Amino acid sequence: MAIDENKITRSKKRNQSIAFCVFAVIGFLIVAILVTVLSFIVIKGIGVINWDFITKMPEDGMTKGGIYPAIIGTLCLVGGSMIFAFPIGVMAAICMNEYVKDGILKKIIKQMTNNLSGVPSIVFGLFGMALFVNKLGFGDSILAGSLTLGLLALPVVIRTTEEALKAVDDTFRHASLGLGATTWQTTRNVVLPIAFPNIITGLILSVGRVSGETAPILFTVAAYFLPKLPTSIFDQAMALPYHLYVLSTSGTNIEESRPIAYGTALVLIIIVLLTNILANILRKYFSKKVKMN
Amino acid sequence: MNHFESELEGLKKDFIKMWELVALQLKSSLNALASMDHEKAQQIIITEMEVNDLDLKISKNCENIIALYNPVAVDLRFVLALIKINTYLEKVGDIASKISKFVIKSGDPFYNDLINKTQTLAMFEEACDLLYDVMEAFKTNDAQKARDIFKRDEFINEINKTAFISIINSIKENPDNIEKYLKVIALNRRVEKAGDMSKLIAEEIIFYIEAKVIRHRGK
Amino acid sequence: MNKLESKQVNFYYGSSHALKDINLAIEANTVTALIGPSGCGKSTYLRLFNRMNDLISDTRLTGEVIIDGVNIYKKGINVDNLRKMTGMVFQKPNPFPKSIFENVAYGLRVNGITDKKFIEERVETTIKQVVLWDEVKDKLKKSAFELSGGQQQRLCIARAMAIQPSVILMDEPTSALDPISTSKVEELIHELKTKYTIVIVTHNMQQAARVSDHTAFFYLGELVEYGVTKQIFTNPNVERTQNYITGRFG
Repeated sequence: MAIDENKITRSKKRNQSIAFCVFAVIGFLIVAILVTVLSFIVIKGIGVINWDFITKMPEDGMTKGGIYPAIIGTLCLVGGSMIFAFPIGVMAAICMNEYVKDGILKKIIKQMTNNLSGVPSIVFGLFGMALFVNKLGFGDSILAGSLTLGLLALPVVIRTTEEALKAVDDTFRHASLGLGATTWQTTRNVVLPIAFPNIITGLILSVGRVSGETAPILFTVAAYFLPKLPTSIFDQAMALPYHLYVLSTSGTNIEESRPIAYGTALVLIIIVLLTNILANILRKYFSKKVKMN
Repeated sequence: MNHFESELEGLKKDFIKMWELVALQLKSSLNALASMDHEKAQQIIITEMEVNDLDLKISKNCENIIALYNPVAVDLRFVLALIKINTYLEKVGDIASKISKFVIKSGDPFYNDLINKTQTLAMFEEACDLLYDVMEAFKTNDAQKARDIFKRDEFINEINKTAFISIINSIKENPDNIEKYLKVIALNRRVEKAGDMSKLIAEEIIFYIEAKVIRHRGK
Repeated sequence: MNKLESKQVNFYYGSSHALKDINLAIEANTVTALIGPSGCGKSTYLRLFNRMNDLISDTRLTGEVIIDGVNIYKKGINVDNLRKMTGMVFQKPNPFPKSIFENVAYGLRVNGITDKKFIEERVETTIKQVVLWDEVKDKLKKSAFELSGGQQQRLCIARAMAIQPSVILMDEPTSALDPISTSKVEELIHELKTKYTIVIVTHNMQQAARVSDHTAFFYLGELVEYGVTKQIFTNPNVERTQNYITGRFG
């Protein structure tokens, strides 16, 4: 029986165009949603953003003035959480990936890490309050908030670091070990430099994640209204996400502070966006550097 | 020089050693025949063993080189040519030892006269020269020199033909010595054969250098 | 004396029996090629000699693996020191993300050598040994990734040789290289065998024929035939070997 080549070609073409349409629609939807949300916030918020807005204290029951302390508070919290989560997370990942052999123990730890990243952030908040604020007596403070946020970031840092380490081809390790290097020498001199660009990316992405969290700081650090900058790690501080929450739910005058709320949201989005862009730039820079030196 | 080239070089060295040995055998058998020297003839039969050993060694090495290195193009032709030339040389060695056996068996001045009459020695000398010259062509990769061999082989064939006719005539005159006459015919044919071998070798040299097959094509 | 030897070696990955009763003796300063279809155990066997298989969990070994008369799997062997005795070269060129110089110096540095002059001299002689010096002498401080694949592989060989092992293990060292680079590496192997004992795993049978003195044919974890390369490739004793090298397999 002769095969109708034209028929086959036609049906292949038809399938191809159907598939293309489906994917195009889905892609368009995603972009559309993103653009809608972003433009909504930009349009509503752009009006209040000026130099004063990001450098002045809030005034008149948060209906006027800026959000300076909230920005600084967020930066402190993010920085603090990373100081805590980064070394521990990276070390844990190195330990898991380079030292512990495959087996039950590794499986358990892995499962635990995965579960940890699935725990709702409000639970972290409660835990932080119980442990850091009350038990350890840090009180509502940047320290307690940072540690809580750090805990939240930990599984992300561990997972991304582990992925980065796994992406390093085993032959690099074997080559180094084959020269009589110890596991630590191998990790430090060969594996980490190769994995570094990806580790850095993971780290910055977790910064993005942490800077937007509200629940964990709710009980551990956030001040409702505190028109001054923190002076030590035991001070309370304002933070952008919480400030936003306050402005839109329990401010003294929600209607009047609405524009400021949108402005705050915009600033928060810009910060997250900037960290993501930074992550990309750094990854490109470092992967080039790894190749070049 | 890379490893393969040095393997080829080693093969070539062995090969030239064999060639020189065979050429010497032929030359010595010529001398033995000219002087009817039994001792010299005996010596040739002994060294024949050495030629046979080299023949086996070279065949084995050629096989190894083809199996291990998969030579291509000029290298392949070189090895293929070597295998064939090796066989021809071995045959020349056989001829030398057979002529030596003839020298040992024949103590009769009758042969001396007949050999002189049929110009066997002149033919023989030319056959020896051919073998040396074709070796030179091989050593220097000179296809032109190899081509010159063909003409000179004709000369040998010519002498052989004349010798054959003259012996036939002698037989008619003197049928009693027919056995001895036939032996000299065989001797002459052997010498002629040695010349033929040089011609065949020359063909292989041209094949290896120029990738042209010239056998079965007239001249 | 035999440089490398294995006696009654059995090796298991979990429950799968990867090497079965392997007895093999390798003379010093020879090149031995391990050939056989994928999964026949030849790479596993190679890795026994620098205990790289230790890095894989759930493996088990019985029998003796001997280097210079010492069973390297007996208790009390320092694995880091053991691995210094053998250099390893891998399938894909894998220079470290360091300069050309530092790649070769790496093995010295991790073994605690700090004498700058000594390191410089050793790096230079080693790079010369792999016939790479003229190509890289002006860019020793540049990244190793700037080199071509073939150059990278020769650099990796230099890296393995810098600590002066007596054995070099090569796991398909040219499978990612173009023919010219391949023949350069093969030439190198010929030169290196005067100083080192080389064991090379290769999928390329012609390569085994070209570079090795002895060839071992593995099939399904068994050593089917071991002998002089010339003999294996012209007249193997075992029919399975003949079928494999002539391509009439399965």
